[in-house]
Amino acid sequence: MTTIVRPFGILKSYIDNQPERIVEPGRTVRQTMIDLHIPPEVVALVTVNDEQETKDYIIREGDLVKLIAVVGGG
Amino acid sequence: MNGYGGTTLRVNLTTGQITKQPTPPELARDFIGGRGFGAYYLFKEVPKDADPLGSENKLIISTGPFSGLMIPGGGKCDWTTKSPLTGGYADASMGGHFTAELKYAGIDTIILEGVSPKPVYLFIDDDKIQLLDASEMWGKGAFEIENHFKHKYGEEYQVAVIGPGGENMVMYACINHDYGRQAGRGGVGAVMGSKKLKAIVLHGTKAVPVADLEGYRNAGMALYKACKDAEGLAEWTRYGTTIVTSWCDEVGALPTRNFQAGSFEDGKGIYGQTMRKEIVITDKGCFGCPCPCGKYSHMKRYSTQVEGPEYETIGLFGSNLGIGDIQAVAEANRLCDDLGIDTISAGVCIGWAMEAYEKGILTKADTDGLDLKFGNIEATFAAVKKISYCKGKLGALLAQGVRRAAKQVGKGSEKFAIEVKGMEQSSYATHNATAMLLAYMTCDVGAHHNRSWAITYDLQVGRDKVVPEKVARIIWLQNFRPMFDVLGACRLQWVELGINRDLYVPALEAITGLHRTWEDLEAVGNRIWNITRMYWFREIEGFGREWDMPAQRFYTEPPKTGATAGQITKYEDVVRLLDMYYEQRGWDANGLPTTATLEKLGITSLVA
Repeated sequence: MTTIVRPFGILKSYIDNQPERIVEPGRTVRQTMIDLHIPPEVVALVTVNDEQETKDYIIREGDLVKLIAVVGGG
Repeated sequence: MNGYGGTTLRVNLTTGQITKQPTPPELARDFIGGRGFGAYYLFKEVPKDADPLGSENKLIISTGPFSGLMIPGGGKCDWTTKSPLTGGYADASMGGHFTAELKYAGIDTIILEGVSPKPVYLFIDDDKIQLLDASEMWGKGAFEIENHFKHKYGEEYQVAVIGPGGENMVMYACINHDYGRQAGRGGVGAVMGSKKLKAIVLHGTKAVPVADLEGYRNAGMALYKACKDAEGLAEWTRYGTTIVTSWCDEVGALPTRNFQAGSFEDGKGIYGQTMRKEIVITDKGCFGCPCPCGKYSHMKRYSTQVEGPEYETIGLFGSNLGIGDIQAVAEANRLCDDLGIDTISAGVCIGWAMEAYEKGILTKADTDGLDLKFGNIEATFAAVKKISYCKGKLGALLAQGVRRAAKQVGKGSEKFAIEVKGMEQSSYATHNATAMLLAYMTCDVGAHHNRSWAITYDLQVGRDKVVPEKVARIIWLQNFRPMFDVLGACRLQWVELGINRDLYVPALEAITGLHRTWEDLEAVGNRIWNITRMYWFREIEGFGREWDMPAQRFYTEPPKTGATAGQITKYEDVVRLLDMYYEQRGWDANGLPTTATLEKLGITSLVA
């Protein structure tokens, strides 16, 4: 089982425009974002296995974490 | 003319005369459509100093070359007028299915003139166009009237209608359509009400000519494919605009208790996740939209339904009023839609009144006995009804808009009237987001977010930084984003899904036969921006820098709580922002476009 963080859109620029990163479980989404140099405040929505979660969610083995930024407002 | 219905319809409500004119090709060339047509006709045809609610003002409904065609979100039209709320320029963009039917009736623009002696509705069925009696409908809610027309004429007929708010000329009355779409801002519904026009009902069956059918099909399909392939499509569709609620709370942009703070301790109760779980029944899209952001909701507690609420309504009827209850917010949304008032302006006006009440500036004698404390849901519903009917002291006070209300009440309440140019600020708290603050200060209708939105940009660059790059970003957005309102398409596919804007270029060329790059389109956007700016100067004596100042709260009162606690934009930074903005725009120190700027843009003779 692999744990994957997949940032969308402009957030990819923080991980060298790669589509995703494999991360270690056991840390919160917020800590993981900081590890990946993604500023937590620019991430509007976090989903884990397609369910919305908070940035304080502790990532588990096998999770697919998607990070979505607000691109341009309404 | 490829991409256009070909007809401009003039309806004189005073005389009942209806005339058709060809849409001028040079107008389409220079201003393209939508808000471009609206700004042109308003400047050219509505005389200086016209009473916004009098017979000289006009209400202009205009489509663009993408309207009604196979372009994602190509269901937009603009409603342009002299605003009764601000006294300056106003346009309001409306989605749904009205625009497509208008285009299929062969009409690019409707210009409504004069004042009818009695309530009427405008009926358009291709070439059959009539003004019909609406006396029996006057006083009734928007939902009932839309239902009435759907039963009378059929589901394919599209309806734009005002509620009692428009009839009573509440300064921020809106126009409703499709049970949940609005031309919301600036009081366009009050202008329609002043003309005694209850509704427009229409249906069309004509084809829209395009220059290159194969190219149009390919370009349209490329745009749809880009939307379908967009990474955030599923999440965006699931939450719509409410996707930002929790994020705004986190970063201190969620207006709380009349913008006293940007984070709300009961925010969870109004987050998109809560809304989806508690009240949403299904998704709802506008014409041609592959990413439906509308949500049909059922409020069990009230046994009612509404399309919504959108983020703006959640912010301004939720946290801004101290209400952390999504069912109550949705019910307030339903009341506003049915009664026909803009949820943004109404939420700000009630928030101001609640703060004034809690500070003892307003008492029960002023609120008709309402205990208008933050968080009081029943008092909120009662206030909405009072405003819509201009009823009682409170209704009459708040129906004027927050700037006039604060001026009338005084006692320091002007300091917490959250508006720019007289228009209530939409749902982003800007205590420490300098680009977004500038966006509100310089928006050409007042404090609205649709022209430029920059909070993510603020966070990336540094939220309190005041640098020329931020100003340049706002100007670029102001020239670029409103072009979607000119073209007649929704901007959210670009804004939220991030699809490549270059995909629109071949579509526009295939439809109209004219090649235009985004640089060309931004030049049109810049021209329109300067025309609307000149309109403000023409209509308002003493207009200038002072009118671009933000609500005082954002540079005098740092929030005590939340993500932006203790943070504020310094007054000198507000001044610097304007200085840089005027310079980059080619305007003088008072914000007036210079002669050289007008000449460069080729609009000197129009605005002379």
